[in-house]
Amino acid sequence: MRRIFTGILTFSMLLTGCVNSSVGTQSRLELIKRRDSLICGVSGKIPGFSFLNRNGTYQGLDVDICKAFAAAFLGSSQKVQFRPLTAPERFTAIRTGEIDLLSRNTTFNLSRDSSKGNGLIFAPIIFHDGQGLMVRKSRKINNIEELAQKSICVGSGTTTEQNINDAFESKSLPYTPIKYQDLNQVVAGYLQGRCAAMTSDRSQLAAAKSGFKNPKAHIILDDVLSKEPLAPAAAEGDQLLSDAMRWVVFALFTAEEKGITQSNINEKLEIARSNPQMKPLRRFLGIEGDLGEKLGIPNDFVVKVITSTGNYGEIYNRHLGPNSKVPIPRGLNKIYTEGGLHFAPPFN
Amino acid sequence: MKNRYSQIKNLKRVAFSNTVDSIVSLIIISIGITTLLTLSKWMIFSANWSVVSINLPLFLFGSFPNDQLWRPGLWISLFAIFSLITILGPQWSWLRKSLLLLWISYGPLGVFLLAGGIGLSSVESQNWGGLTLTILLTSCSAIFSLPLGIALALGRQSTLPIVKNLSSIYIDVMRSIPLIAVLFFGQLLIPLFLPVGLEIDRVSRAIIAFTLFVSAYIAEDVRGGLQSISRTQKEAGEVLGLHPFQITCLIILPQALRVALPSLTNQAVGLLQNTSLMAILGLVELLGVGRSVLANPEFIGRYIEVYLLLAAIYWILGTLMALIARHLEQQLTLEKKDL
Repeated sequence: MRRIFTGILTFSMLLTGCVNSSVGTQSRLELIKRRDSLICGVSGKIPGFSFLNRNGTYQGLDVDICKAFAAAFLGSSQKVQFRPLTAPERFTAIRTGEIDLLSRNTTFNLSRDSSKGNGLIFAPIIFHDGQGLMVRKSRKINNIEELAQKSICVGSGTTTEQNINDAFESKSLPYTPIKYQDLNQVVAGYLQGRCAAMTSDRSQLAAAKSGFKNPKAHIILDDVLSKEPLAPAAAEGDQLLSDAMRWVVFALFTAEEKGITQSNINEKLEIARSNPQMKPLRRFLGIEGDLGEKLGIPNDFVVKVITSTGNYGEIYNRHLGPNSKVPIPRGLNKIYTEGGLHFAPPFN
Repeated sequence: MKNRYSQIKNLKRVAFSNTVDSIVSLIIISIGITTLLTLSKWMIFSANWSVVSINLPLFLFGSFPNDQLWRPGLWISLFAIFSLITILGPQWSWLRKSLLLLWISYGPLGVFLLAGGIGLSSVESQNWGGLTLTILLTSCSAIFSLPLGIALALGRQSTLPIVKNLSSIYIDVMRSIPLIAVLFFGQLLIPLFLPVGLEIDRVSRAIIAFTLFVSAYIAEDVRGGLQSISRTQKEAGEVLGLHPFQITCLIILPQALRVALPSLTNQAVGLLQNTSLMAILGLVELLGVGRSVLANPEFIGRYIEVYLLLAAIYWILGTLMALIARHLEQQLTLEKKDL
């Protein structure tokens, strides 16, 4: 009996040895460069953020963020592979090294960030969202109190489920949750009339609503149940990769702040080259200094990113702007100079 | 005319023999007709099939590169051609004899056509999807799990205690774990045990997980077949001076597999349906593609059209498999008569 036990013990030690040696030593960034392609976990099922378009390629805000990372790390936004992941498996996928980073509508919170929680490290927030409730206008429900005793459709395994529970419990209102596996099923359940209201992030409610036959028959209540800051994430303990990710996102914000766009990037580059006194712009575009090298990526990473995806505002407008299929008012997601929350520290 | 008259008479006898029967039949018939009418009315007038017609290449081939679409296209058409040949039963005996070989080579051929190599440009497995991926998962898992299952079944009958116990433990453990747990293990835990840089792609991991799981069930089906063969068969072989290996391969197994065929078909159809579980694990096979297409803002809310299409495709595939298996059974019983 004891011999078997020692056997099992040695075997499991061997296994954990493998795991430790594989995660501990080198940065994912080196691996990405060696592989010459970035593996990005996305949802693949969220309108406006990531979905399969009719050509069979992924498209959306989350997808463009991945492309920006690939452009910065590897010089081309084409060098990215997308892995569609569902909500319950996304953290396991990143811990096991199945994917390099996650760009999948993931809410930044304490337990996901901490090493005793999900053990992630988050890049800056790319989309400020909040949980809301959508009801049919004909139901004449105006606030959360009037939803007492009613049933509510909710996606399971997400913070959404927890938030709705907290919101109702704090007001000691009874309600019946009807749980589904993903947002599309929540929408289907709501449209079939299985519940009085559906709850999800307000951006997703807006996206779902835009696809309804009669969008005006539904309203999103003013109650905001939660803060949902969505951010890309990598596995904890990888300083090199997370620094690089952080500054790529900041580059997207800074480019919008400075008015550098996909169409005028070459002009700006010319101006910076011919004017040695424009130090901040020259540093930002990598003509001068070694900002990129300090992060372990090429000095001209900002140029590569803006050429392939455009600045943050352009990405936003392409997928969620007023002329897109899923219009969501920018609100908190404006750059700080215009009254939003997106702010980038200086590129010095 | 007379024939039709007797049919009507027959119908009357079966469905309208007395008042209660007539009422029940009428209710069932009217429910059936209303359902059919509503459904066809919806399908013709209310449904918007553009979600299907625009995304048809996606449903069939996933995001396979556009200039290479002939490869999965050829492979799927071969499936249709092979099935037709099998079901119609060709006259030429050489074709009939090579049918089994054709079916066995079908999976590897698919891997070659999809992955590329030798003259074909390589396409990475994350671009495989839709119906192609569903058929690939089914055929490859089936090809690998059948020999493994047979080996396990023989192992369970073995006289060597180690082989016997290991086989029984494997079979019992696998059968007591739910499939979804095995699939999660394959997708999420296997990469944890591999050194960095060495990656088995997700499709292979799914095939490995399906193979490990299904082979345990196949082993039990084959064991049922083995136990139905009487001892005298084995003794007859021994009398003829055959080696135990020859006895198993030439006498026992062919008969056992014939007995096990109906339950093996069951496993194959079950395997086809179970591949849809991979949608939960992020592979874009038939169901996964359906769910991703539904997230396209252009097609939000077209659930019923998409799911009806998927149901139809699964139904056609399942029926084809059942027909092929029935045909095989008939052929095998014919041989029995010849003996």
